Amino acid sequence: MNTNHPLLASLADEPPPFPDSHPQLQRLDRSVLCTICKEIFRAPVTVTCGHTFCSECIRSSLSVMTDKKCPLCHATITEGSIRRNRAMEEVTEAWETARDSLITLSQPVAGPSRRRPPPEPNSKSSSSTSANLKRPRRSDESRSQSPNKISKKSTDHVDHVVSSDSEEEEQVQEISENDEGECPLCSARMAIASIPMHIERGCPPVSKKKSAPGNQKADWRKVFSMAGSTKEKNVSMKRITSPNYHLATPTDLRNILNEYSLPTVGDKPALEARVRQWIILFNSNLDTEHPKSLSALRAKLNAEEISKKRDKERGRDEAVENLKTTEGFAEHVRNSGAEFERLRKEIMERDAKRAKAAKGLEASSAIEVD
Amino acid sequence: MVLSISSRRLMKELKEIETKGTPPGIQLLKADDMETWIFLISVLGDETVYKGETFALKLKFEPGYPIDYPQVTFLSDDQYQPPLHPHVYSNGHICASILGSEWSPVLTALSICITIQSMLASCKKKERPPGNDRYVRSAPLNPKLTRWAYEDDTV
Repeated sequence: MNTNHPLLASLADEPPPFPDSHPQLQRLDRSVLCTICKEIFRAPVTVTCGHTFCSECIRSSLSVMTDKKCPLCHATITEGSIRRNRAMEEVTEAWETARDSLITLSQPVAGPSRRRPPPEPNSKSSSSTSANLKRPRRSDESRSQSPNKISKKSTDHVDHVVSSDSEEEEQVQEISENDEGECPLCSARMAIASIPMHIERGCPPVSKKKSAPGNQKADWRKVFSMAGSTKEKNVSMKRITSPNYHLATPTDLRNILNEYSLPTVGDKPALEARVRQWIILFNSNLDTEHPKSLSALRAKLNAEEISKKRDKERGRDEAVENLKTTEGFAEHVRNSGAEFERLRKEIMERDAKRAKAAKGLEASSAIEVD
Repeated sequence: MVLSISSRRLMKELKEIETKGTPPGIQLLKADDMETWIFLISVLGDETVYKGETFALKLKFEPGYPIDYPQVTFLSDDQYQPPLHPHVYSNGHICASILGSEWSPVLTALSICITIQSMLASCKKKERPPGNDRYVRSAPLNPKLTRWAYEDDTV
């Protein structure tokens, strides 16, 4: 095989690897990669056994596993045991910032023809300035979403999110009132008095309006800040607890989707898939210092849905297209000839017994062949 | 163009194969797209019952990869035949727990190949699985649709 595979052209934006002369740096470089997506950690989280993954990676993995195990060591884990790993996020960021200058430093000393200036002062100054530009360093702080703390990653969609986000920020401040408590199950914040009823109902997502009684201060603030007058829904920036998908009715699922202003079209499987994916995206977005805006998350969900649909359709088209070529048809006959024969016999026997109409036969054979 | 997670992951794997090469006895035959890859697998050494034989392993990746495992079968055509092995059916389907319930998203295309290679290497007797004919007669095209029962812990 040639070394310049055409498919690899689209990986050109990848940062260059460390030279083999620095195996210790290569190891360090690997240690900030998620073992599932093989990319640098995004919103790293740790599970019970101590292994760390991107929040989205491990949440999606757990959502498809029947018995939930750590992908690396097969220890039994639960989604509830996922914890944010702030230290790893900090290390990952620091490493990303330092990587470029380390690459420069790790290059073998260039020959005299290159006339490269001495690396120390140059790379040091350039790296520190670029680091400052890229990522304003923040000292110890809790995760908050005030606009001046939006990182460089999210600056590109700042413009159109400010309007909807400002309200959510308001939300974050409001719910830190003294007379509120955290639900021990889903850690949603609400008036302490309403927690027992909330648990009784199976931890439905808390809507601000319902849990308001007793929180007069917040109510008044809402009136004065005009927040209450807008029609936009208040979205609680708290982890969503998964509903019981077996018991949930399409209406329940639509309610959840409505809560986050998501499309509610489709049958129950489609709704369920959307709720599942949204919960993964939403919850993993809470595991990072640089959360994306809700509108960016919605766009991501939509894009994923579209690409899944396209892949599905392409697969079907391909299968049909394959049948048109002689080879493909021959293969299909070879693969499913025996099955076809068996079904044919079965149907003929049944036909003899029941003498049913030809229409019914077609339908049943189509189902079974699939 | 924004690449899907599965394509990005596959490209990283491909790049790794290009730069570091494949382990002995495993060779990438075809990876023209991000959907179907074919590896050639042979068991090295004199101990093996498959001495001198080469098999073609086909990996078909779905959009859910690596959360979802790929379809893995041995090619069965004019050039390549699936190995005679107690866990490999004559239509190329493989009964291995990592290609089912024991799949882990940290596994890669290469690690699948290595597992299959070691499964072949540990084989002492060339034979088809019990019930091969019955299975092959009614097997779905996609091995993922088969409900496997894993009996042998040695694989």
